[in-house]
Amino acid sequence: MRRSVALLLGLLSTATMAATDPRTVPTKLDPAWQAKTRELFKQAIEIPTVHHRGEMPRMAKLLGDQFRAAGIPEADIHVMPYEALPGDKTVALIVRWRSPKATKKPMLVLGHMDVVEAKREDWKFDPFVFREENGYFLGRGTSDMKNGDVATTMAAVKLMSQGFKPNRDIIFFYSGDEETNGRGATLGASEWRNLTEAEFGLNADGGCGSYDREFRPLGCGISTAEKTFQTYFFTAHNPGGHSSRPRPDNAIYDLTDALKALQAHRFTPMLNETTRGYFTKRAKQEGNNALGQAMRRWLANPNDGQAADEIEANPLEVGLTRTRCVATMLQAGHADNALPQTAQATVNCRIFPGVQPKDVQAELQQLAGPKVAVTPDPNYIGLPTPPSPLRPDVLKAVTQAIQAIHGPQMEVTPVMSTGASDGSFFRAKGIPIYDVDGSWGISPDDERAHGLDERLPVRAMYDDVVHWEMIFKSLAG
Amino acid sequence: MRLFAFALLVSAATPLAAAANPVTQPSKLPADWQAKSKALFKAAIEIPTVAGRGEHKRAAEWLAEQYRAHGWAPTDIQIHPHKGDKGEDAFTFFARWPAAKPSGKKPILIIAHMDVVEAKRADWVLDPFKFIEKDGYFYGRGTSDDKQGVIGTSAALFKLRADGFKPNRDILVYYTSDEETEGNGARLGAGELRQLLDAEYALNADAGGGAFRADGGALGFGIQTAEKIYQDFKWTATNRGGHSSRPRPDHAIYDLTEALNRLSQHRFKPAMTETSKAYFTARAGQEGTSALGNAMRAWVANPADDQAADAIENSELETGTTRTRCVATMLEGGHAPNALPQKAEANINCRALPGTTLAGLQAELEAIAGPKIKVVADGAFKPSPPSPLRADVLNAYTRSVRSLYGDATPIIPHMSTGATDGLFFRQVGIPVYGVEASWGISPDDERAHGLDERIPARAFYDNIVHWQNLIRDLAGK
Repeated sequence: MRRSVALLLGLLSTATMAATDPRTVPTKLDPAWQAKTRELFKQAIEIPTVHHRGEMPRMAKLLGDQFRAAGIPEADIHVMPYEALPGDKTVALIVRWRSPKATKKPMLVLGHMDVVEAKREDWKFDPFVFREENGYFLGRGTSDMKNGDVATTMAAVKLMSQGFKPNRDIIFFYSGDEETNGRGATLGASEWRNLTEAEFGLNADGGCGSYDREFRPLGCGISTAEKTFQTYFFTAHNPGGHSSRPRPDNAIYDLTDALKALQAHRFTPMLNETTRGYFTKRAKQEGNNALGQAMRRWLANPNDGQAADEIEANPLEVGLTRTRCVATMLQAGHADNALPQTAQATVNCRIFPGVQPKDVQAELQQLAGPKVAVTPDPNYIGLPTPPSPLRPDVLKAVTQAIQAIHGPQMEVTPVMSTGASDGSFFRAKGIPIYDVDGSWGISPDDERAHGLDERLPVRAMYDDVVHWEMIFKSLAG
Repeated sequence: MRLFAFALLVSAATPLAAAANPVTQPSKLPADWQAKSKALFKAAIEIPTVAGRGEHKRAAEWLAEQYRAHGWAPTDIQIHPHKGDKGEDAFTFFARWPAAKPSGKKPILIIAHMDVVEAKRADWVLDPFKFIEKDGYFYGRGTSDDKQGVIGTSAALFKLRADGFKPNRDILVYYTSDEETEGNGARLGAGELRQLLDAEYALNADAGGGAFRADGGALGFGIQTAEKIYQDFKWTATNRGGHSSRPRPDHAIYDLTEALNRLSQHRFKPAMTETSKAYFTARAGQEGTSALGNAMRAWVANPADDQAADAIENSELETGTTRTRCVATMLEGGHAPNALPQKAEANINCRALPGTTLAGLQAELEAIAGPKIKVVADGAFKPSPPSPLRADVLNAYTRSVRSLYGDATPIIPHMSTGATDGLFFRQVGIPVYGVEASWGISPDDERAHGLDERIPARAFYDNIVHWQNLIRDLAGK
């Protein structure tokens, strides 16, 4: 559930310098480690870790073997089996890189090994065959988030090979069901807490940097607040019958009426401290254009719904002004030649922090009407989470790493994440989590997480290893 | 897939004067032939010819034995193997009664099917594959669909032969064993066996039939002369998808939803056929001066009166009789609850008026669906020319039914909204007439495909008399 990389924090109105294509800038990772990184990335992508495919143990072994080969003792490598969705037997991997002389409490590094379903017929290429093409790596998981798994693992292995000794334990936690119901993170934050207890955590599931199509840096957002993830089902029932004699009422049409209402619906706009800071900065960047003016109007008067609507309608700001709910799946009927007895849509909501999922359900039920029942997904009940106070050491470490790779124009700013990730389960249980991965892309062309022909610039993969090296050195050295 | 005429006829506003309970009236079939045909019916019902149970061969061989025992030469009997449902072995049965006094007329073909729809012991009050006679009824799976047709036509031929009847044209019999599933037996008959089965027309014992009210009023008897065309279409919307935390304005599910909302509002142009003109003329007589009766008269008087056609179509008794109907029956969309859908697809099931072309139907659906939806026909298009209302067949049917049930019995030509084996023969130029005269009490006995299927014993016996009447009339004069 990776947040999109486009955060548009750069110097749009002032960035007039001729920009270089960031994909063509040489990486700072040396060629020997490029080869190792590429090989691990290829192997990781080619394990189709979609739910219910039973591939997670293979993936956990692949990552565990890297740590093992670098000298982490067997006793500190834990493969934790658990059941995610009903019948989905999966595993989490927990690795502890011990400090010989710890002076600080441990630090957690979060990632997930599973990927969203990708159907061969929908893609141009086989999503589970790793490809390199025109400066990109392609395949399911290249941006969400086997890149983060590979970058954090390779950075640790590289530092170990150089003899780096952390001054705090670094705990790597890779879950096996982040994309489905987050059971691994729930267990990691509770039952397995003796293995994961940490002062704070860094989540590699959420890159922060991006460039626009003119190659201007758009900035890097570190999420300190996140929307609550909750899926609802819209369900219509009907007695059905023989399709040669259609009835006036039809479960599919009842559902499509409700979806039409959902499509047109807009939730009430809201502001919080994080987004107020974000829009204040953005308004300055946008200057006097229409978007900048709308942002200023809204900041001056949070009840100016029209201004908020204008902001929300901008593709770069989607989801930042309010709760959003969107239909993601459909299922109806039981035979081609029978009237449907059931029609169901999956509606995925990203709920503004502070709003209760129950209230969203009531609002959805209101617009769906009496013929369609709205119920929450029993497999995943969203937990509203408190914002994590931003730590100066984390902000400093991330800013240094980001600017070492992208230059000072790439600003780092606290933001609200519209997605939810494993981080929310740890936040809810008292471990502050910051999404600080160093991967990046061209916005919006490379925003393909969960979508078709997912990809990542080759340089972004390699530089991410360098990024995590710098962060480990800064926060544990 | 037998659609009894019952459902079409229950609304009769002016049924005939109440008479005695039709179930308890004596049959016109002589007692010795009642005993013989009951034994045949029992044997047939107790072979569970459900798809997948491997009983089709036994059923065909049993039929062959009966035909040989009743005077058919072994060389006039054939069993043709083919693949049926899910590749199982299926068998069609063929028998020829060569003309004893050839008149030069082409043969008459009689069709019916031996297979039955699944029936589970646990769901029924009685064992569905044990022949039971109780309170004037025969019970068992297939007693009304369509073993009464197979045994009714066979017993009629056996008795005619025993009585010394000399047909003036060949009488061909062709019974299939996968009508309820694939229809491959009928395809074989209309294809590879076209020369063997070459006939002037076919009489279908799987269509037609009558209905009585419990108080004895005859609701009428239907002769089926046309079948609507069955055709599925896939409607597909595609999109590049993306992350559900950032909904896009363009969206595969909403594109499909909008198209389906248009489909739910769309009404195809009404069209009157020769059959529907005769049907609504007869039905208008039954309906009297009710609103429905008036609408029927208005439409018959002026086939351009679409408003009248709409009023007819809106009656649940007449759904599908005035025009092509297409209805959404299945939906599928999306690939993950937290991803914007890349694909959304609906199955649209159409029952098109005879004479409809694939190109015409496709173009109309494309216009409804709009440019964002791809419309693809699913499965081969099977055109269905209506069979011309032949005076000889209609008269023979009318005379026979009225000789059994009185001169005032309504005779109603009609078009099936469903499909039978007859469709395949119509396609290759052999007109088909559904001329069964078995009947039941409406709606109590409408149990084809359902639970505790049954037929009044008298209806079974009288149907044998009826088929003798038809054959004497059409092959003896």
